[in-house]
Amino acid sequence: MTNIPASSSTPNLIQQPDQGRRSEKQSRKIRDLLTSTISHGLIIFVGMFFAVPFLWMILTAFKSDQDVFHSPPRWLPYDNVRVDVNGEQLPLYNVKIEDGTIKQLAVIKILEGIGTFVDPANPGEILTYKLQQGAERIAEPIMEVSFRWQNFPDAMNRGSRPGVGASFWVYFKNSLIIAFFTILGTLISNAPVAYAFARIKFPGRDTLFVIILATMMLPFQVTMIPIYLLFNDKLGWGDTFLPLIIPTFFANAWDVFLLRQFFRTIPEEMCDAARVDGASEWQIFTQLILPLSTPVLATVTVFTFLWAWNDFTGPLLFLNSPRNFTMALGLQDFQGQKTIVWNQLMAAATVFTIPIIIAFFFAQKTFIQGIKLTGSKE
Amino acid sequence: MDKLQPPERKLFSFKLPLKVVWTKRTKADFRTGMLFLSPWLIGFLAFTLYPMVVSFYYSFTIYHSRRAPDWVGLQNYKVLFTDDKFWIALSNTMYMVAIAVPLGLFASFLCAVLLNLKVRGQAFYRVVYFLPSIVPTVAGTILFLWLLNPQVGLVNTLLAQIGIDGPNWMADPQWSKPALILLGMWGMGGTIIIYLSGLQDVPQSLIEAAELDGANWLQRLWHITIPMVSPITLFNLITGMIGMFQYFAQAYVVGGGDKLGRPLNSTLFYSVYLYQNAFLFLKMGYASAMAWILFIIILIFTLLLLKVSDRFTYYAG
Repeated sequence: MTNIPASSSTPNLIQQPDQGRRSEKQSRKIRDLLTSTISHGLIIFVGMFFAVPFLWMILTAFKSDQDVFHSPPRWLPYDNVRVDVNGEQLPLYNVKIEDGTIKQLAVIKILEGIGTFVDPANPGEILTYKLQQGAERIAEPIMEVSFRWQNFPDAMNRGSRPGVGASFWVYFKNSLIIAFFTILGTLISNAPVAYAFARIKFPGRDTLFVIILATMMLPFQVTMIPIYLLFNDKLGWGDTFLPLIIPTFFANAWDVFLLRQFFRTIPEEMCDAARVDGASEWQIFTQLILPLSTPVLATVTVFTFLWAWNDFTGPLLFLNSPRNFTMALGLQDFQGQKTIVWNQLMAAATVFTIPIIIAFFFAQKTFIQGIKLTGSKE
Repeated sequence: MDKLQPPERKLFSFKLPLKVVWTKRTKADFRTGMLFLSPWLIGFLAFTLYPMVVSFYYSFTIYHSRRAPDWVGLQNYKVLFTDDKFWIALSNTMYMVAIAVPLGLFASFLCAVLLNLKVRGQAFYRVVYFLPSIVPTVAGTILFLWLLNPQVGLVNTLLAQIGIDGPNWMADPQWSKPALILLGMWGMGGTIIIYLSGLQDVPQSLIEAAELDGANWLQRLWHITIPMVSPITLFNLITGMIGMFQYFAQAYVVGGGDKLGRPLNSTLFYSVYLYQNAFLFLKMGYASAMAWILFIIILIFTLLLLKVSDRFTYYAG
């Protein structure tokens, strides 16, 4: 990283100048290699903190029921080997039979400690064994590395609670509907407001801009109760998507600020020229500014999707019946059950995350740009 | 310290629209402006100003949802100060603000410095550090409940392999908040990116000049990089703090919905207790008083930070 120490290393004064230069070159090479190795090592070490939990979510989603609680946990998912016996997929076990040899048998059922087995090589023969003989357990499942894709349909087809009458597919659909209208409302309502703050000169503009910025400091908790009572009791919108969607059609400080910052980078002379030509503000906004603003509108779209998809408090306040749950609510409900099916829970969590990951990889630049735009206000 | 802060200066120097000379022209401009602003104006009146006024009024009443609010003056505020759970919730929240926010900023900065090193695969590493931050909050929280499961969780298993007896994490009042801090740090990718863009804006000429003067890597970091990114630190500190005062979803998920604050009220954060009062105990007036106290705390902290930061923040140009 530093060149100074490399050039000041002088253990080779007595050597030939040529040799000296070579060894100096060599020592710099070693130094660079060392620096790069340490850098890589540090980045990877810290990176594990970010990567391992993420991978663990996905790996758990692929585990079989037996493997989830295996102690100690194994990295890769394991599942019972299955064999086809008379058209049925049966789990294969290692069974120690009377003469002490171990035989691979398929299990038909295990009831009250007595296992009913069948020999896959000789399907007609049914064998029964008491599984616990003295201190010894005579049958052990044969496990192999196997990704259980079935967890995903299993998780999605179930509800968050037994007998709830709505599946995670419904929650997924609800989240999509809410996200779609939230994006629509945000795009329609914020752009004109931001344009007025960026490019129209009118009395009182700066005062209003200070007010809109000040609303960023207002915690949601202050307005939460009256808004809840307004939507729920006065308007009767409880348990519908309306309380989550309607407010997004009335602009918000964050997006107005983001859009305004961008609009201000568009040369004012262009607007002035259009004004001289007799264009109205609305024409300038729709025909000049908006077409130039696709990057920032994409940023707003991506971030609004992220926000709406992730939102928990809003749906928690307004949605009561499971058929209206969003993914966030459904997942929380699923986790709150007495017996937690971790592999299916992680499968549902993975499905919940996938749309965002897809959005990220399609719009990586947009993501990063947006974060920088919101972060660099000073 | 008698120098006015930029936001304050803005607040006190605006011209009231009344002083404007109303000509045909300014009237027309005003009308156009208001037309463009109308979505926000309506939204502001309906979803910000009206609720603020009403909530302020509720805070002086006893209001049990369906029954009409009953004026009681300052009673809610007085009761709050003697409410043990209020103080528990406030101190839990202050713990997070005082520890999780600075720790997160410090760690984000270090991660950004790492990701700014010129190494092969830099772009890939950046994605790895960033990805967890876009995992939905509820999914991330549930994932950490699973990772930090005392018996079969991955973390305690790995700790056991190196001879450490892992704590009970979310089941132990001593460890539940550190567990939540870990969860928060896992998702700090956004802050890392902001710092990273700040690091890239540090003028190369400054660093080279310091290098020529014989400053080592650490000295350059301390005397150039950290002062140069101080406005970003201030911004992240303020937004992080405001967000942390409203910490809710993660704690709600950890509480499993019906056991909010568990274990032993150690995750009973301010917003959680406020939610409980408003929607589970249906004490809407009491909860409104809590909300206003929260607002005032946030205001005081923000202004304080802006004032103190004047000494420590360096604005280039």
